[in-house]
Amino acid sequence: MISCIEIALKKELRDADASSLIKKADSYFGIDIEHARSVNIVTIESDLDQGQLEKIKNEILTNPVTQVSSLSPLDIDFDWCIWIGYRPGVKDNPGATAVEAIKDHLGKNFGPDEGVYTSKRYCLKGKDLTREDAEKMASELLSNSIIQQFKVFAIDDWDKEIGADVKPAKVILDHVPCFEVVSIDSDEQLAKISDERNLALNTRDIPVIREYFLAPNVLASRKEVGLEKPTDVELEYISQARSDHCNHNTFQGIFKYKDASTGEIVIENSLFNTYIKQPTLQLKEQKDWVVSVLWDNAGVGTFDAENNYVVTGETHNSPSNMEAYGGAITGIVGVYRDPMGTGLGSKLFMGSFGYCVGNIHYNGPLKPPLHPRRLLDGVIEGVKDGGNKSGVPTTFGQTLFNPGYMGKSLVFVTALGIMPSQVKGEPSHEKKTSPGELIIMSGGRVGKDGIHGVTASSESYSENTPAGHVQIGDPYTQKKMHDFLLICRDEGLIPFITDNGGGGLSSSVGESAMISNGCEVWLDKVPLKYEGLDMWEIWISESQERMTISVKPENLDRFMELSDEHEVESTVIGKYTDSGKLHIKYKDETCAYVDMDLLDKGFPSWQFDAVWTPPEMRGLTEPVISTPSDFNSLLLSMLERPNVCSKEWIMRQYDHEVQGGSVIKPLVGVNHNIPSDAAVTRPVLGSPKGLAFSQSLLPWYSKIDAYHMMTCTIDEAVRRLISVGGNFDHIGGLDNFCWPNIQFDEKKNPDGKFKAAQLVRACRALKEACENYEIPLLSGKDSMYVDGHLEGAFGERIKISALETVQFSATSVIDNVMKCISMEPKMAGDLVYVLGTTANELGASEFYEMFHRTGLNVPQVDFDRNKVLYKALQSAIDDELVASCHAVSRGGLGVHLPYILMGGGLGLELDLSAAPLDESCGNLSDEILLFSESAGRFVVTVSKENQAEFEQRLGSMAYGCIGTVTGAHDHLKISGLNKTALVDLSAQQLDNAFNKAFGDMI
Amino acid sequence: MKKVNALVLTGFGLNCDNETAFVFERAGAVANRVHINALVSGKVKLEDFHILAFGGGFSWGDDHGAGVIQALKLKNHIGRDLLNFVDDKKLVIGICNGFQALVNLGLLPGLDSDYTRRSVSVTYNDCGNFRDQWVHLAANDKSPCVFTKGIDMADFPVRHGEGKFIADQDVVDTLVENNQVVFQYADKKGNPANSEFPLNPNGSLNDIAGICDPSGRIFGLMPHPEAYNHVTNHPDWTRKAQELKRKGESVDPEMTIGIQLFQNGVDYIQETLF
Repeated sequence: MISCIEIALKKELRDADASSLIKKADSYFGIDIEHARSVNIVTIESDLDQGQLEKIKNEILTNPVTQVSSLSPLDIDFDWCIWIGYRPGVKDNPGATAVEAIKDHLGKNFGPDEGVYTSKRYCLKGKDLTREDAEKMASELLSNSIIQQFKVFAIDDWDKEIGADVKPAKVILDHVPCFEVVSIDSDEQLAKISDERNLALNTRDIPVIREYFLAPNVLASRKEVGLEKPTDVELEYISQARSDHCNHNTFQGIFKYKDASTGEIVIENSLFNTYIKQPTLQLKEQKDWVVSVLWDNAGVGTFDAENNYVVTGETHNSPSNMEAYGGAITGIVGVYRDPMGTGLGSKLFMGSFGYCVGNIHYNGPLKPPLHPRRLLDGVIEGVKDGGNKSGVPTTFGQTLFNPGYMGKSLVFVTALGIMPSQVKGEPSHEKKTSPGELIIMSGGRVGKDGIHGVTASSESYSENTPAGHVQIGDPYTQKKMHDFLLICRDEGLIPFITDNGGGGLSSSVGESAMISNGCEVWLDKVPLKYEGLDMWEIWISESQERMTISVKPENLDRFMELSDEHEVESTVIGKYTDSGKLHIKYKDETCAYVDMDLLDKGFPSWQFDAVWTPPEMRGLTEPVISTPSDFNSLLLSMLERPNVCSKEWIMRQYDHEVQGGSVIKPLVGVNHNIPSDAAVTRPVLGSPKGLAFSQSLLPWYSKIDAYHMMTCTIDEAVRRLISVGGNFDHIGGLDNFCWPNIQFDEKKNPDGKFKAAQLVRACRALKEACENYEIPLLSGKDSMYVDGHLEGAFGERIKISALETVQFSATSVIDNVMKCISMEPKMAGDLVYVLGTTANELGASEFYEMFHRTGLNVPQVDFDRNKVLYKALQSAIDDELVASCHAVSRGGLGVHLPYILMGGGLGLELDLSAAPLDESCGNLSDEILLFSESAGRFVVTVSKENQAEFEQRLGSMAYGCIGTVTGAHDHLKISGLNKTALVDLSAQQLDNAFNKAFGDMI
Repeated sequence: MKKVNALVLTGFGLNCDNETAFVFERAGAVANRVHINALVSGKVKLEDFHILAFGGGFSWGDDHGAGVIQALKLKNHIGRDLLNFVDDKKLVIGICNGFQALVNLGLLPGLDSDYTRRSVSVTYNDCGNFRDQWVHLAANDKSPCVFTKGIDMADFPVRHGEGKFIADQDVVDTLVENNQVVFQYADKKGNPANSEFPLNPNGSLNDIAGICDPSGRIFGLMPHPEAYNHVTNHPDWTRKAQELKRKGESVDPEMTIGIQLFQNGVDYIQETLF
């Protein structure tokens, strides 16, 4: 029996959901809605009597103080009604919690054919509203056809009895699970099958695969279990294991790097080994705080004598580009499983975000899957729900706009965890599987989710086919699992744990079984969301919120007892062995039987041609722009720019202090609205120690040379840490590469060789920076295909590639958080210093970008000079000689001095000619002083009492006292090279400009 | 000396249990984080505790109304125990999601000593979004609330999407008359916010941020006192620390209003039940 319950807020109450629809319809499309109300619909498919339905309606679903509800459609007047519901198979979180509540409240169980589904309808009044308006709002504001469906009703065709006529969005596959045997008579045949089945096997891998399966000894041993030719399950396993996602073929690939200016050719055998692994392992030897790197789901560093911290980062770009909310929430909830699956499992204590999107006011002809504005809305909301509902503070984040990201926007998510350094006397960062241990899957169930990633999007829809390729993360289910697993860890029940992400069980079980050297998996035991999945689908499904855990048989009862208490589903799905075989069964039938070492059978490396053409040879020159005469207006216009202005509204939506350890918040200053250099958190409340975290993104410099993009990005991340009191001797790094396709193709990717060279150079720079600043790379990830082919005005498709982008994250441990400082001046009368040298380095700067120019003089990092300065500054901060400190970055002093003034709310009287200046690369000018983005610089305030001691610490290093903080006024007064006044702006003027673009957003 | 036992609920998406337990410990209590199902199954007995804390978080994902399913589950399984707990003159505090649960249980406002009726609600913010910000709170010195004794003003963070306190006008009037309104959103001088955003971050009627029952032993509030467990939690601490430093003074990192609020609860038990 199918019943619908409709619930709405009492009409005198403010309907925030409907109000936001009215606001967006107007500001996005100029559609005028006079009045709107939203109605929640709960559709129950179950045999319940009227009394039970009334009980559910009144006692579970209706708040007597605020809501009205009915078992028949609520009689709410409208001109147009829009109904929005999920497609079958899309995670319906409220539906799932409703089932829990009904089970508990009525004490009834739900059978496989029963379920609860939620949907929504909006009742719109507006005399000018048309069906087109309603359909536009339905399809471009309220729903996304990938995961949702909608209906539009005019008042005339509305049946008061049937209402929206909502049917359960349940999956019916009507398919008998099976596996297929694949014939591999020739390479061509296997290649063809690979295409047909979306296996994405690399052509160079195909002969190796055939050779293995045709080898007599292999055939013989397969015969014993009733197999001959490879099965689809086995090929899917190989495809997953060899995918770029799991195997990082690009960074393991062979690059032929040619410098076009010299003709010199260098062969790079593995960017990962040469530029990431080798320097990191070397630093691990020098730094005893480095605990575990380069093998686990996340890196591990020492926090204090009893605890280690864990850090990793991910991107979730492609799904977010198709379904921004679903992609982003799945991304943040997904990255949170990495620390949970690191060592024996860690407790999450913070996360961060990085968004790179196109121009949100774009109104040109190109048609991205989602307009940048809508995409950003969805991404922000996804991380909000995913992060907040996980109970993990989002303490840092950046949002960046550039047209290159309209082809594919970037969604970075980072996760940090904390764990006791020992569990039951054993080091918590070590884990292993052993023969005889049981393979357990905990958390969510398995459906057709994420199978073959987005390639599945080409499937045609029928009413009941699952729209599983884009998922919606479920932080509630995962939070229950998180709490449960930490208790299991502390009781010593977990010898091994890892998460199910890309590749699903195929990766988590396949990789963990390599440790014990074998496993037997019983796929028919895996709990499913709905019947009818084939074996290979169960094996590689990427359904979320799942961990794979190894448990000793003697501990199974206790493990399951805790699992029940926490209402987390856990299932034994196999056992680890030492058979040397990956053995997969369904019921009693074997559907996969391959050697654990199959993947070491000499699969060839990928190969890339890289050609570096230096910027001069590419024709880049400095633009010809004379010195402006109106610096006041110029400075205000800079502050209004999207990449400079306030984005407070984003951070306010994120709980950035849950867990009670917030020390330096993401927004600081007298008005709590200036982005902080870094965030500091106390993951262990009883300890005076804090963890400092910063991130940097400077992709613009890649327009000139990705080498300097990389060094400047890392330098900025380091300075951000030092600015809050970070420790130069303990800096952990995390590199997240997002690169356009680097595989040369005459037609499809003509500049692939150059992009490949940019990648090689970025990796070389990564090594140089990490060695100089002594930064071991605790973790890192790469996302290699950030290109989009967007439809244009005439049906053509235009390829848009993102800038070569690296988000670099840095961690440091602070011994005493009471010594942390923030960026804003604290006291009138204090002295203002610029540390570090300003040079003619406007190349790819925000200033040039304002005039649509690129230039040539990209900022370059002087590591030797900087190291000395940073250490001296750190000691000064540590000895409490410094009142405030801020790292100068994008936009230069002309942007960051306003930040500092707004942060302090006190006046600044400054003479920039007193700052350390470098004239070696061309004569300086006032616009260079203000807007050059030279690396290695800080603005610091110091009390007069500490002046002598502070200056003595800096000795002969590059510093200059450029003026004072004053309480006499709140103006920013700046004079330039020949002491002439350049800028005189009040805090109010600056604040108005800073908040002009997004100030009214909440 | 006998120890005060505090029970902090965990599980089902609750997430402030660690820091809430931490402040109780700092306030001298023995804090126990207990999974809701351990109470439901009877493995843990409510009667063994003196203070019950409904903490912040997203119980059951806040689907179908913040704190609704949590309230229902507790009512169904330990409703009687909860009422006995109240009758025994023990203390209950509900923070954020916990406050939402208390009003859905009917433990608040507890008018006419009816601790089962839902007569007020904490619903969606007027600003239409989840919001994390620090707020100034003015405490009602006439309130019987046990937890706010000796506190006239407090700064705490709010972190919610559903924090707007609403009720029928007569209910609000009664709460005001009974001095059951404990905390109101205010400006930094302590004057009422008069519904001005963002001083009043959610549009609560009468700027109400927290209420208690007529006895003052059951207290619910949207702001998070447990998130002010250390001087460095306060958004202005770096400036305040500089000012003190210039005067040659220093600060005790753990003397915060947040801890004092829980201290009041612990002291009350010491004075009345031991």
